[in-house]
Amino acid sequence: MQNTLLNQTKESLQLSPKFEVSACGVGEFSVGHNNSNNRTMKGNNGYLVTMGAPSPRSRPACTCSNRPGSVRCARHGYVVPSERMKKRVASKEILRRALTPPPPRRCEKRSEEIRFFMNDSDTTQLATTYDKLTCVGFISSIVVSMRNNTSLARKEERHIHMGGANITSSLLVFVFVVVNAAVSMANFLAQFQSIKSTSDRLVISVEDVSDLWPAVKPAFEARLPFKQGSLNNKTRNPVLVEKLPAEFILTTDSRLRSRFPQEQLLFWFREPYATIVLVTCEDLDEFKTILKPRLKLIVQNDEREWFIVFVSRAHPANDKASAMAKKVYAKLEVEFNTKKRERCCKYDIHLPESNFWEDLESKIMECIRNTLDKRVQFYEEEIRKLSEQRLMPVWNFCNFFILKESLAFMFEMAHLHDDALREYDELELCYIETVNNTGKQRDFGGADHGDDQAALLNPGNKALTQIVQDDSFREFEFRQYLFACQSKLLFKLNRLFEVASRGYSFIISFSKSLALHERILPFCMRETWVVTACLALIDAILSNYNDGLMAPDIEKRFFHLLGDLYSLARVKFMRLAYLIGYGTEIERSPVNSAALSLLSWPKPAVWPSVPADASAEVLEKEKVILQTTSRTKPFGIQRKPLPLEPTVLLREANRRRASLSAGNAFETFDGRQGITEGSGFDASTRMSPSQKVPPSSIPRTNSSPGNFDGSIDRPMRLAEIFVAAEHALKKTISSQELLKSLSSSEEFEQKYLELTKGAADNYHRSLWKRHGVVLDGEIAAVSFKHGHFDQAAKSYEKVCALYSGEGWQDLLAEVLPNLAECQKILNDQAGYLLSCVRLLSLDEGLFLNEERQAFQSELVRLAHSELKDPVPLDVSSLITFSGNPGPPLELCDRDPGTLSVTVWSGFPDDITLDSINLTLVPTSSVDEGAKALQSSTPNVLHPGRNTITLDLPPQKPGSYVLGVLTGQIGQLRFRSHSFSKIGPADTDDFMSYEKPAKPILKVLRPRALVDLDAAVSSPLLTNERQWIGILVRPINYSLKGAVLYIDTGPGLEIDDSHVIEMETYAGVSENDDNKVQKDGAQIDSLNYEKKVERLTLHNGKIEFPNWASDTPSIIWVLVRAMSDMLSRGSSSVTTRRESIVDAMRTIALNLEFGVYHNQIFERTLAVHFTYPFYVTTRVTDKCNDGTLLLQVILHSEVKATLTIYDAWLDLQHGFIHNGQTEGRPSSSLFPLVISPTSKAGILFSICLGKTNGEEDRKQQESILNIKYGISGDRTIGAHPPVMDESTKVDGARQELIFKNAITLQRPVLDPCLAVGFLPLPSDGLRVGQLVKMQWRVERLKDLDEKEVPEQNDEVLYEVKANSGNWMIAGRKRGHVSLSPKQGARIIISVLCMPLVAGYVRPPHLGLPDVDEANVSCKPAGPHLVCVLPPALSSSFCIPVNS
Amino acid sequence: MATTACFIIVSRNDIPIYEAEVGVAAKREDAAQLHQFILHAALDIVQDLAWTTSAMYLKSVDRFNDLVVSVYVTAVDALPFNIGLDVDVAVVSKEEWTLLNPLYLPGSRITSSHFDTKVRALARKYL
Repeated sequence: MQNTLLNQTKESLQLSPKFEVSACGVGEFSVGHNNSNNRTMKGNNGYLVTMGAPSPRSRPACTCSNRPGSVRCARHGYVVPSERMKKRVASKEILRRALTPPPPRRCEKRSEEIRFFMNDSDTTQLATTYDKLTCVGFISSIVVSMRNNTSLARKEERHIHMGGANITSSLLVFVFVVVNAAVSMANFLAQFQSIKSTSDRLVISVEDVSDLWPAVKPAFEARLPFKQGSLNNKTRNPVLVEKLPAEFILTTDSRLRSRFPQEQLLFWFREPYATIVLVTCEDLDEFKTILKPRLKLIVQNDEREWFIVFVSRAHPANDKASAMAKKVYAKLEVEFNTKKRERCCKYDIHLPESNFWEDLESKIMECIRNTLDKRVQFYEEEIRKLSEQRLMPVWNFCNFFILKESLAFMFEMAHLHDDALREYDELELCYIETVNNTGKQRDFGGADHGDDQAALLNPGNKALTQIVQDDSFREFEFRQYLFACQSKLLFKLNRLFEVASRGYSFIISFSKSLALHERILPFCMRETWVVTACLALIDAILSNYNDGLMAPDIEKRFFHLLGDLYSLARVKFMRLAYLIGYGTEIERSPVNSAALSLLSWPKPAVWPSVPADASAEVLEKEKVILQTTSRTKPFGIQRKPLPLEPTVLLREANRRRASLSAGNAFETFDGRQGITEGSGFDASTRMSPSQKVPPSSIPRTNSSPGNFDGSIDRPMRLAEIFVAAEHALKKTISSQELLKSLSSSEEFEQKYLELTKGAADNYHRSLWKRHGVVLDGEIAAVSFKHGHFDQAAKSYEKVCALYSGEGWQDLLAEVLPNLAECQKILNDQAGYLLSCVRLLSLDEGLFLNEERQAFQSELVRLAHSELKDPVPLDVSSLITFSGNPGPPLELCDRDPGTLSVTVWSGFPDDITLDSINLTLVPTSSVDEGAKALQSSTPNVLHPGRNTITLDLPPQKPGSYVLGVLTGQIGQLRFRSHSFSKIGPADTDDFMSYEKPAKPILKVLRPRALVDLDAAVSSPLLTNERQWIGILVRPINYSLKGAVLYIDTGPGLEIDDSHVIEMETYAGVSENDDNKVQKDGAQIDSLNYEKKVERLTLHNGKIEFPNWASDTPSIIWVLVRAMSDMLSRGSSSVTTRRESIVDAMRTIALNLEFGVYHNQIFERTLAVHFTYPFYVTTRVTDKCNDGTLLLQVILHSEVKATLTIYDAWLDLQHGFIHNGQTEGRPSSSLFPLVISPTSKAGILFSICLGKTNGEEDRKQQESILNIKYGISGDRTIGAHPPVMDESTKVDGARQELIFKNAITLQRPVLDPCLAVGFLPLPSDGLRVGQLVKMQWRVERLKDLDEKEVPEQNDEVLYEVKANSGNWMIAGRKRGHVSLSPKQGARIIISVLCMPLVAGYVRPPHLGLPDVDEANVSCKPAGPHLVCVLPPALSSSFCIPVNS
Repeated sequence: MATTACFIIVSRNDIPIYEAEVGVAAKREDAAQLHQFILHAALDIVQDLAWTTSAMYLKSVDRFNDLVVSVYVTAVDALPFNIGLDVDVAVVSKEEWTLLNPLYLPGSRITSSHFDTKVRALARKYL
């Protein structure tokens, strides 16, 4: 059987190696066999033939079609070169074939060896003797092919005939071989690793033909490392390499010589990248005969990149030698240089040419570049092939790994780190894919001692041989190894950020892998690994970090990653610490709770048990647990501490103990003893406050109930769990540093602080304030614990500011009490008060009512007792306020009012505010400061909504919003600047800062609130008691309680005897016309509601009745205009000169109204009084008998009907009545009715005459007496005067007397003297020219002594002139003698000089002593004279000639 | 299948204005505080991320153990961030826009019970 097998094996092994590639088209076989099987098999006949009779390498075959020619292979794109083409086409295929040893020979050998190995079972020999890599690849390829064939054969046996061999059996052999070959990979890997560690630079071989190397070596090696070399990267793009280390090695060196050709191929990356052939020759013959053939022999191997350095040893002074050297070199060049490439350079050993070194370096670089390209191509090709097969069952990752890493290592040697990194990335991807897919993973790894320490930065942590198990790499070590290689390259590339980001994700993903294998790993291996990994990564990154090299945003993310790393390490570290009983040291803060409570417990296969000899430690732990008292929170807050555990540890640990069957027993126990569910500090903390019982009642011993008798199945107590975990961890953890950190609570705390600070700092630097600040809070908690309250308060303040600023109240409620406690201890009263206020202003649901009351009582206690100085405090979040809903309060200018404000109190109890001030802020004017309203009376605020009223003094016009509410509680000056929302009682809504402030008060601009006006428009009667009406019209303003002060002006008096009447104004005001007309009913109602009331005047003031507060009304006041002047008539020819002012009387009104009589309206009314008539006279006719008909025309001056009952004229001296009428007209005329503003005339017949009576002599004026009556309405104007009540007789006609003075003049033609203005000079008047003005005075009558009693012949004259127009040179006034005889005349001359040009009034001569009536003037009226401008003066014009 | 979810609307000033714990799992006693903490911390990331992308829905911006934080960044002031744990925040957020009262004052808390009911109904629908 064995022989048969071997034979079959041999046959199978004789398959062409090309078969692997052609047969790797698995899809073709597996898919295509259904329908096109025949065709496929036909197409593959070649294989079968080849399989049966492997031919020697007669001609190169394509991996696919095996047919030479110019047709490219459809699959690979290569042309199978024929002999003819081979020379020209240097394709990959040629290269590959050149590098690949001839397959048949190897197969034969191998089959022999296999036979040998089958006999001797010596696998190692097999491995070491031959090229294992190719062997394995080859074998595995065959197996793949065979498997495919097998499956095919099983299904369609009739098509597969493998030379009658038993396929199954041959397969077995192959698998066996493969397995053994894979085992041998371990040794191979060792070799690979050792080669890697020894060769770290490129090798340049030196073929020292003429023993020149010792002479030139120092100079050559001085050029190393090469600078500024240009290499091609994987994508064939040139890359500038700054520094390329290399090494010159002689080809005779043992390192190069001893290698087998196969080894050379395998570790090709360490083979020379360039070959320098050092030659010298001083003779042409020697060159031709010896050197040239030898060189040809050396360089015939095309694989190597070579060039020749001709060393000239000729001294420069020796011309002949130099010339010969040149000749030889020229020959050399001819022989070995080609058009495309120069392969020679000349080195003068004594005096090197200036560009020699550059030339040499460029040639070396060219060789290196070419070699590198070739090798990269080769490796890529191989890798590609392998990767295509990677999903096949028998595929071996080791091969792939070695190829891939060789390539990566080659790149690394060539300083192409980017490409090397890419290779490692691909390797990792491939590994993850194959490991997960093939299911070949046998051992995860990680079970060795020291594996708990992450080796993710140390590629050499373990030898590769240790990692390999069977044919797979152990994931635990290998992934770390890969990451280590990657990070090493990244550090070289100085890409720290990438290290951090890749590292973090690696740790996370690796941690998940560890979790998957947690059951087979030591206890808490995962946590330990993560902690050490994070710390190692952080250390490595920070030691490479240089500040300022990264771009700002990258740096930000970099620090954020560092923070994450710290944070991760911190969490895992805390978990470890908790497991060994340091849970009490960990602050139960939101961040710790969130981190730990979501992190599941370790899931070992078996929870560690308590060691046998650990009872003392258990006791110790129990003691510690007993002594630990949970920190009492300030204010007696009974808030449940946040959990640090995902589930109760006690239960979890016991459940996982192998001895208990999945916790059934414990569940029973659990149900019975519910109280021990959370034994230890868990129990005390997880109780809800309502269920809380005094701590003494809780069995804190954590010992099991008495039912358990200490057997092995007895559930562990908490202390035991801690001790067991500690022991297990000590076994797991190999890092001394970590062990030390967990050795005591002090050490733990130190490490905990270090990690927390690291995380916080880095988060701060990455501008992740929330992460950073929160961790600051953790540092604060430690500070607090150690009594460093100052530091703690600072950090807590930051945390609180963050949470409160953003309104995350649940979180704030956790931290704020701690801050308050710090501030209380530090005696920071202001801060403490503020914290109390903040606590109170948190959501009500966050604290119990009792707790909130405690906050309040603390606040009140401090405010009233402990504070010495007033402390300002912002309570905006607690006390909010708003105006009442609805429109704002509207006030008129200067009106005070009462403002009602809603204040929300967030205090849980009533609180007494000693005082409250509220400022009003005008919305429009900026310069106006806020107005403060005070309510000094203590106010008690109930929880929730309160309404407070404040007195509002008069404000300036404008719109006001609520400003700041301030007040005092004891010594506490609080201040609130927020507005609460109107609506539901959610008093905590203090976030509406953006809400537009609603005006609370509007003070209107000053406007007319009331109007006072005279109700009558036409004149009233003078000297009679007349009603004067004052129209009071309120303008949208109440006149309730208004008081009107009346003060009469001169010439007017108020009659006190009569009451004052007030009535509604019947006429609707103009403004209201439209409004009222729309509603006719309203008009009616107004009419019907007309009210009249009699008021009295007290001390000059009238108080308004209530009904008059809103409606227009008229006040009738009885007045009398006093005038002692007699009415004077005038001549009809003269224009009437009337002075309105004389008839005017004023009445000053002062109305005080408004709520506090703060509004004052003042007005002075002008009332027009008049006499009933205006009298004009004229003489209508002069009769021949001296009778004069005097017509008296009566103009009615009032808007009332006047009735004249009688009229008579008392004539002045010089006139007498004519006839018997006694100065009365015909009585039949009377009564004469004169309509308003119409005229009536009365004719009197008088004549000039003399009366003898003395009285008549004195009378200079005639008096017209008219007895009249008046019928008028007071609302219009003049009306019948009001009679005294006593004198009034009902029905009696009220007759009034009107007297008017009339001046009668003597007839015009009867003057005594005549004054005539003599004509002026004909040449006219000029300004500045004296002119003589002349008047002629002539006596027309004899001087009557009686009429002119004074002088006899002396006449007084006076010249009046406008001094602005005239300068009078002579006497202005004087007496001239004029004979008393009729006809006497005299001329008065006065020298005048006109001062202005134009038409001016000339001087006027008057006779003051003579009555005007006795002077006849000519011209009679005023006249004008023309004054010319002054003549031009020529006196200053001097003739030119002279 | 999500078992627990928290949904928070954060105003422009990072203030939570609406908060809803939804989900089929029994609510842990400390979940509110825990979720608040996680979502609050996620704001750091959201604020960095929101300006680097034009997408409104930022799926899985943060992960806290098994809890995944997703964010819907809106373009209006009223609801800058909708952050959710294990909720299809995008769908909920889009529909929630239609629920907002036009008289809602930006920045103030959403206290409408109607809104709350609707959001919970939506959450039930998509959870």
